[in-house]
Amino acid sequence: MGELWRRIHYLFHRRQLDAELESDMEFHREMAARAGRNNFGNTLRMREQSREAWGWTWLDRLVQDFRFGTRILVRKPGFTFMIVLVLAIGIGVNIAAFSFFNMVALKPLPVRDPASLIRLERRSPHAYISEMAYPSFAFYRDHTHTLSAAIAVFGVPPMQINDDIKPTSTSFVTPNYFTELGTPALYGRLFTPALDGSSADAPAVILSYNLWEHRFSGDPSVIGQVIRINRKPATVVGVTPYTFASLGGQHPDIWMPIAQQPYFIDGSKALTDWTSSTVRMWGRLAPGITKAQAEQEMRTLTNDIRRIHPDAVWENEYLQISPGGHLQIMQPEMLRVAVMVGILTLLILAVACANVGGLLLARGISREHEIGIRVAIGASRIRIFRQLCTESFMLAALGSIAGIVLSYVVLRIALSSFEAPGWLSPIPDGRVLFFTGGIMMLAVLFFGFAPALQIARQRHRGTLVRQILLAAQVTASCVLLIVSGLLVRAAQHVLFNEPGFGYESTVSIDPQLGQHGYSDSSAKAYLDEMQQRLRELPGMHAVALVRLPPMGHIVSREDRELNGRKVAVYPNWVSPSYFDVMQTPILTGRVFTPGEKHVALVSKTYARLAWPNENPIGKTMPGDSKDVVIGVVGDAHVNALNNDDALESYYSAQSDNMPGMTIIARAQGQPDAVLTAARTISENLDPKLFPEMNRLKQLYRKITTQIELIAGIVSLIGFVAVLLAGVGILGIVSFNISQRTKEIAIRLALGSPKSNLCASLLRQFIWPIAAGLALGTGLALFASQFLRMVLFGVSNLDPAGYAAGVAVLLAVVALSGIWPARKAMKLNVARALHYE
Amino acid sequence: MPMSIRSKDGMPPGALPMLILRVLQSESLHGYAIAQRIHLLSSEVLAVEEGLLYPTLQKMLLKGWVTSEWGISETNRKVRFYQLTPAGRTQLKVELAGYDRVTQAIQNILRTA
Repeated sequence: MGELWRRIHYLFHRRQLDAELESDMEFHREMAARAGRNNFGNTLRMREQSREAWGWTWLDRLVQDFRFGTRILVRKPGFTFMIVLVLAIGIGVNIAAFSFFNMVALKPLPVRDPASLIRLERRSPHAYISEMAYPSFAFYRDHTHTLSAAIAVFGVPPMQINDDIKPTSTSFVTPNYFTELGTPALYGRLFTPALDGSSADAPAVILSYNLWEHRFSGDPSVIGQVIRINRKPATVVGVTPYTFASLGGQHPDIWMPIAQQPYFIDGSKALTDWTSSTVRMWGRLAPGITKAQAEQEMRTLTNDIRRIHPDAVWENEYLQISPGGHLQIMQPEMLRVAVMVGILTLLILAVACANVGGLLLARGISREHEIGIRVAIGASRIRIFRQLCTESFMLAALGSIAGIVLSYVVLRIALSSFEAPGWLSPIPDGRVLFFTGGIMMLAVLFFGFAPALQIARQRHRGTLVRQILLAAQVTASCVLLIVSGLLVRAAQHVLFNEPGFGYESTVSIDPQLGQHGYSDSSAKAYLDEMQQRLRELPGMHAVALVRLPPMGHIVSREDRELNGRKVAVYPNWVSPSYFDVMQTPILTGRVFTPGEKHVALVSKTYARLAWPNENPIGKTMPGDSKDVVIGVVGDAHVNALNNDDALESYYSAQSDNMPGMTIIARAQGQPDAVLTAARTISENLDPKLFPEMNRLKQLYRKITTQIELIAGIVSLIGFVAVLLAGVGILGIVSFNISQRTKEIAIRLALGSPKSNLCASLLRQFIWPIAAGLALGTGLALFASQFLRMVLFGVSNLDPAGYAAGVAVLLAVVALSGIWPARKAMKLNVARALHYE
Repeated sequence: MPMSIRSKDGMPPGALPMLILRVLQSESLHGYAIAQRIHLLSSEVLAVEEGLLYPTLQKMLLKGWVTSEWGISETNRKVRFYQLTPAGRTQLKVELAGYDRVTQAIQNILRTA
């Protein structure tokens, strides 16, 4: 112990102790001189050796290196600024991407004990759904021993407050929702099982902070007021805090107790129906229970449900448990997207680093003189290498700090423009700082190591490193540009091509009959009447029924194998006029009649894949089904817009589908007029109902803006990358020319043709650029198959996308190479030769 | 040319700390005096190089075997005197015992081989 303390004491009293040592040695020298000996040697060096015994030399050297590095960096502020800027972009993009991932998937929700929160979803080998029937939920809740709490969220379509025109998003939740999360009320109270657990309790609603602030002007006296939700009076009992973190990132504006669901949605049997999947289940693992144990127990309970209600459970059904304490539950598909984004951002870092590496190498050559002197007076190569690495570290650290600021600003803007929940903060946390440290190290390795080694070995004439750096830059830029080229093409494709169905003047009207307790026959009567009245509207072309409306809330998907090929089939149940409304062409065969059983229609691609070179009419549908194909229709990915590989199958809607059917209608002129008329008709038919109405065009636009946004962001990133690469190439070529000024001048003086000279200057850059282009295109070919999902029907091998990417890159590369070379041709020969 | 594992001033490697401890055992001395004392006591066979003495003293200070105290030299100059600590005395015993064992072993080989 004593030794460590003394060491630390030495660290803090170095100056004084050094002076004492000096005095000791001076005295020694005096005495030795008296004795007639004068060869005491280099006192400074001896003192240094003695000091080494204290064990702090490394620190002194480090401080020295830092001091010297600072001087070097300050001496050329333009150069330093340029490098820090390039690094800030390269590092900042990575930090921003990681921070976002961190916020969404890693940061625990600011609720009580987020680690034990879990999400439970129904799964079987063939099906997957996030919702379950409320009675099933209640069964699990009442019989489980591995969960300490079970929470259900019942999402419903937006509802009307008082006489508002704009509907408000709503959710029913079990009364333990807020108590389990430990949320305090901003005003009033939140739900408790004691006060809101029974349907006999007074109907209560809770407002979100956002709604309270905007709709109720932030007035605390709203507590206790009675408002009408879809015309049902209810008392406002509380307001959630601004920083409230909800489960699964769902933040509706109105919260209602689930026990009151039948009150607010008149006639609904959702709470007693074992077959309609309505609620999302969350839970808390009991202390000491593992996920596997809970899954095992749930499997047993699922089998118990099967015994009582065989129709409520799928074949081989089980509950999948995933961690629920984050904003987003990570699914494998999302993870793939995250990995893809990660690779793209790392490519940017690579471009930035290759760029900075080139600049450092170039500067290293101009520092040849200085380094030569330092070696001559005794600095070892290791020492020079360490010095250069320290400088690189300082640059990377500055770049990282700037990168953190950059990413903070970007995320701040992004969060405020996307209405993110209030508790989300882009302030970097420990994980982000740790990641930044890692990225910084990676950057130093990328850009600092090779040049430092080269310079320290005093062997920097070799152009190989420079050429490799150049090739790396071109490769990475090439991949980024091709990917952005593909995405831009996809956006164009979406904007300028028909998606295979008419959406311009089509509307969907979902009366939610099932939720209001309509029987099969009463639903049919309602729908028939509604369709009839809609058909009578002026300019109406066609009206139809569909179970899964285009771009609606629910999508059904079967994963099948057709002739050894894995495909995703999107089935739908429709009335015969559906194809007329959606303008989907009937290619061969016929359409079914209303309610026709055991027949099916398939899309063109489905028929081609299932029965290649055969007539699909009369074939039986794959799998153990009795349905016979009677016709083939055009491809129309109404429920899988961005999946060009999607297949469709259609079945005639049966009478037991009626309570769940949505009406779609296509009319000439303004779809808004149709919606207004539909609302009036609905009022007349059943004032209890509040049909959810949508214009397909709007839904479509909403989806396409997403792809435009993604294409825009990736293009911006690609643009930044190509700009960086351009600057890098410009720097390398200019530097190379400045090194050869004398040679160029002599050749010019001797009358060498300018074009020859130009070519000889640029020749050495041709192979790294060609190699980079080839490698980049190859990588893009490989990587783009993961993009298929978001390409909206543009092939990932789309030649135009590739050509555009490569062309932009070539243009930038050519420009940044030829410009300095041409400038060199205008050299003042006499002056250049004088100078040397 | 005959090779010797001993350094040119005849100091066996690792012996210096022990010698310093030994000469400090009776009285505290300043750096120059330590070198002189070793030189004289060895009948001028062993010369302590200044470049070795001070780093070794620093190490011994750090280990806590010796401490230093300001005093006045024979030339009337303010100078540091080094003196043994209890830990230093223990260390001297350890070093001496180790040294005795090694020399004994070497003697045995020289006598019998």
